[in-house]
Amino acid sequence: MASKILSQKFYAEMEKLIPRYPTRVALLLPALHQAQEETGWLPPEVLEEIGAYIGIHPAQVREVASFYTMYNLTPVGKYHVKICTNVACCLRGANELVEQVERKLNIQCGETTRDRKFTLMEEECLGACGTAPAMMLNDDYYENLDSKKLDQILESLE
Amino acid sequence: MPKCTIDGREAEFTPGQNLIEVAKKVGIEIPYFCYHPGLSVVAQCRMCAVQVEKMGKLQTACSTPATEGMVVHTRSEIAKQNQRSIMEFLLINHPLDCPICDKSGECDLQDNSYKFGDSNSRYTEERRTYLDLDMGPVIKKNMNRCIHCTRCIRFGEEVANIHEMVAVRRGNNTEITTIDGRPLETDYAGNYSDICPTGSLTLKDFRFKRRAWYLKKTNTVCEGCSRGCNMEIHQDANRVHRCLPRVNMDVNQYWLCDEGRFNFHYLHSAERVVEPAIKGKNDDLSMTDWDSALDAAKAALVGARKLTVLVGSDLTNEEILLLQSFIPQHLSGAEIVHFGTAGVATVADDAAADKLLKRRSKTANLHGIEQLGLKPFRGISDGTDAVLVVRGGRAELPELPSVKLVGVGVFEKSEARNFSVVLPGTAFAEKDGTIVNFQGKEQKLRRAVIPAGKSKALSEILMMWMNRKSS
Ligand code: SF4
Ligand code: SF4
Ligand code: FES
Ligand code: FES
Repeated sequence: MASKILSQKFYAEMEKLIPRYPTRVALLLPALHQAQEETGWLPPEVLEEIGAYIGIHPAQVREVASFYTMYNLTPVGKYHVKICTNVACCLRGANELVEQVERKLNIQCGETTRDRKFTLMEEECLGACGTAPAMMLNDDYYENLDSKKLDQILESLE
Repeated sequence: MPKCTIDGREAEFTPGQNLIEVAKKVGIEIPYFCYHPGLSVVAQCRMCAVQVEKMGKLQTACSTPATEGMVVHTRSEIAKQNQRSIMEFLLINHPLDCPICDKSGECDLQDNSYKFGDSNSRYTEERRTYLDLDMGPVIKKNMNRCIHCTRCIRFGEEVANIHEMVAVRRGNNTEITTIDGRPLETDYAGNYSDICPTGSLTLKDFRFKRRAWYLKKTNTVCEGCSRGCNMEIHQDANRVHRCLPRVNMDVNQYWLCDEGRFNFHYLHSAERVVEPAIKGKNDDLSMTDWDSALDAAKAALVGARKLTVLVGSDLTNEEILLLQSFIPQHLSGAEIVHFGTAGVATVADDAAADKLLKRRSKTANLHGIEQLGLKPFRGISDGTDAVLVVRGGRAELPELPSVKLVGVGVFEKSEARNFSVVLPGTAFAEKDGTIVNFQGKEQKLRRAVIPAGKSKALSEILMMWMNRKSS
């Protein structure tokens, strides 16, 4: 295999996790998380490397990584905006919020701004239905959103 | 044996059998897609759901084992309603392109829609479509037709032992694929097409060659190795178009390897010698008539001081027996040995070549020829001044000395370049006969097509030899 992309630290973390799981394949989800933390997104070479480490076909890694929306298989901007558009949020105006961001950043849902600052995505239920509409900005939750609040949040970002 | 009742019919079953199999035994068809007897059960498509008395909801027949006294209805109003709904659901995104789909005529989706679905669709919205990336030389993919039954994925994982075919993304966007159009790696890829219940995975080698309903089928055995997988030859107008596996749980279960599946192509190869041929003036083979070729063969062999006869272990027992009585009478003194695969001289050298089906002996009748008492070829003995090679189409020619060479059977022009005479014989699909596989099972080759060109059966060639008065 070509030279490794993932760091020593990644492999050290994984070795620590191994005893926690009944099978080696079960290491796949944490491995993907950890790798994404390092590289920001999961390029094909990283998926290959993880497959080789766990001992499964790289296609199987792809299968799992593409199932969950929190794994980025394409590069994302500095700020990853994920607005929930499932029922509760939808009823409380989430679709309008998505449109608002699209207009403001001049991108379509799923796209990244040219300066690589923002990526906008629709998200499935974030489990914050009680405080709908909700969105995630990188790893943080923002709830009870409305158009004004959303504008303020976006503008406060460097 | 315990019994249950299906649509009013009493059905015996062995414990553990699911309702689809039990119903099949008494002639009742429960429609299904994701179930395949050679794969794990996932109860995913819901097509097989039936009504079982004393159970609240419909039960998926593929995952429900029959139990004593169970009463099952496969065509009750509620069961039929489910069948119609599932069909409608599966066809929502389907392109309905049967007229240009190669699976048409042998497609589970088409058949079940016809038998269990509605003839009208209520769906007017946009259909989901995919861009199809390549999948390598064997399989042509058309994901718009896919119903996400996951049979292909399970075949890869459970049978071919490689998790290369996967479902990426999820929900409505699920797509069956290899990574970014990478070619399939397994050398059992043809089976992907067999088990796909739709036209999503078709054989590149076969598609658009013939509509399924024009094909005539012959039950025979693969000659690709000493396993002897059971298969069907599909031909039309004496041209073989494809080979499909036949179920034999003791030998090949439901599968064929790609080498065996596509082996038939040499039958129709333009390179095959299909007319009697003798070495011409410019030292290359030129075609002639049977009489001249027979005379030339006799001239080359009868006067020889030391003749070796190489008999391919791709021949049938019947052919070998014929040679065993013919040669001592008509070519007395000749040494008779068998050949087939480099490095596999005897049965002792024949072993599994992979974890699934393939064997090291690339000829089908190594075990038969040894039982009939022939010794393996170990090299040409000193002083040999003529060699007669008799073979089907598969046995691998050893290096031959530059002496008089006569070939009887199936040869490519390049293989026979140094031969003095070739008498064209029949290949596995052109004859009947018995072969013995590595388990010692006697199996039958069946003639599916007439011999190519002027080729003749070995029995006929030997008969002509005996009747021809040398001039
Ligand atoms: S490609 Fe065929 S076998 Fe595979 S999931 Fe789709 S319909 Fe099923
Ligand atoms: S395993 Fe051997 S007998 Fe079976 S299909 Fe392949 S070549 Fe033919
Ligand atoms: S629907 Fe938006 S958080 Fe649940
Ligand atoms: S065959 Fe039973 S659910 Fe698919």
